[in-house]
Amino acid sequence: MKENENLLRLEDIHVHYGGVKALDGATVYLNDGEILALMGPNGAGKSTILKALFGIAPVTRGEIYYYGERIYPVPHEIVERGISFVPQGRQIFKSLTVLENLEMGGFSINSRAVLKSNIEAVLDLFPDLRKKLKVPAKNLSGGQQQMVAIARGLVTTPKVLLLDEPSLGLSPKVVKEVFAKIKEINQKHGTSIMIVEHNLQSVLEIVDRAYLLDKGQVVENNTPQHIISSGLLEKVFLAHK
Amino acid sequence: MNSIIPQLIVNSIIAGSIYSLVALGFNLIFGTTKFFNINHGVIATIAGYTVFSLSKNHGMDIWLAIIIAVIFTGFVGYLSEKFVFLKMREKRASGMVMLVASLGLFTALQAIIAIIFTSQFQTISTNFGESKVYNIFGGIITETQLIILAAAILITLVLGLSMKYTKFGKAVKAISDDVEVAKIVGINANKIIAKVFFIGSMIAGVAGIAIGFDTGIEPTMGMNLLLKGVIASIIGGVGNVYGGVLGAFFLGFVENFGIWKISGEWKDAIAFGVLILFLIFKPGGIMGKKG
Repeated sequence: MKENENLLRLEDIHVHYGGVKALDGATVYLNDGEILALMGPNGAGKSTILKALFGIAPVTRGEIYYYGERIYPVPHEIVERGISFVPQGRQIFKSLTVLENLEMGGFSINSRAVLKSNIEAVLDLFPDLRKKLKVPAKNLSGGQQQMVAIARGLVTTPKVLLLDEPSLGLSPKVVKEVFAKIKEINQKHGTSIMIVEHNLQSVLEIVDRAYLLDKGQVVENNTPQHIISSGLLEKVFLAHK
Repeated sequence: MNSIIPQLIVNSIIAGSIYSLVALGFNLIFGTTKFFNINHGVIATIAGYTVFSLSKNHGMDIWLAIIIAVIFTGFVGYLSEKFVFLKMREKRASGMVMLVASLGLFTALQAIIAIIFTSQFQTISTNFGESKVYNIFGGIITETQLIILAAAILITLVLGLSMKYTKFGKAVKAISDDVEVAKIVGINANKIIAKVFFIGSMIAGVAGIAIGFDTGIEPTMGMNLLLKGVIASIIGGVGNVYGGVLGAFFLGFVENFGIWKISGEWKDAIAFGVLILFLIFKPGGIMGKKG
């Protein structure tokens, strides 16, 4: 990666679902080692940015660069490049055990020894899961399922972690734990994190930078302090009430 | 004990073995792709005719013919996925559209078989397992039928253990749970589904060959075989590997004991009667989810 080059850059991205514009020329970048938030009201296009980056949203125009190289996203190839995605809504494999879920997170790893050691490292980060490895994931609480989903996304030791609404449906206590864990992942492993979140208060406490989106376009790109003090948050969200 | 009962038990077990092979392949594909693959029936027919053609018309060694036929049917299934079903999934075709496409493929392949081999009933008469007959507690079982039973047990065990312990098996379960999330975690879902079609079709091929040796082959045999496999799957629990096998043996016993005192022509009526009862009272099947 060249100096001053973004780790990840989505340039002028357009996504249409039928006649609906989900993204309308959004440009978003992520720097090495930073935590970035994507904020905005429902339908602003936050989650679509993550999906576009992962090749699961129909991008009609725009370019994506990773380490300065243009990429054409296909999900399993994106994972092999070192980008992990934790989708919205605690989407774990319910018929598999916790351990099997983690193994599937490392599907792209061919060496059993590497997979085992990576799972061990992830379990050090989420020690509560160690006692539940043989438990079917469907039997876990909502908070534990979210931990499994995040842990599963870390098995490949990704350079970039994409999190879509990690606090959705969780109690305030668990939300606090989840965000503390996200910060820990970033600090301990240097993982760059892009996070879509509705819980503005919690997310702004841990991020380095944030984008504010509205109607598929970037309205603001700045530090959390600036976004809070500018009054833009209220303006954008109140316009949708 | 009534003297006919041991024979009914043997007949039930053999029928169950053949149905279980169809159900195994059908359940594997349905569980992974969630679409009703009617084409699965004609895959079994292709296997029967491949063995017939290679062994009877070309004089090939019967075991070699069987191996080639099983691999060939695997490829037919793989190609149907690669050039028809995958293309339709990419265009987000509904389950109903996929079903109609598989019916079209079934009909076309069945017609081609009839054109090449005529619609006449054929037998794969060889020395394969014909020489020995065993008496088990008064029930007569041929060597061919014992091989069919052993094949069904072996394939069930290998598939069951593969699904539980291998990376491939776990990926199949993950795709079955949620294909979109499976893709997100880095599973190449299309590659795994293609393998599922290859394996599922090979198992259907074994069923087709088994029925070919047990009774005989005709171009239209695939639909009846498919329906029995589907009934077995529904009775046992659609998408559940062991459920399908359980349902297959249940169906085999119900069919054979059902015609104990009545004409054998009632067999299909009994099978579908049981299916309707399950659909009304236990639609999830014996080992399936409620509802």
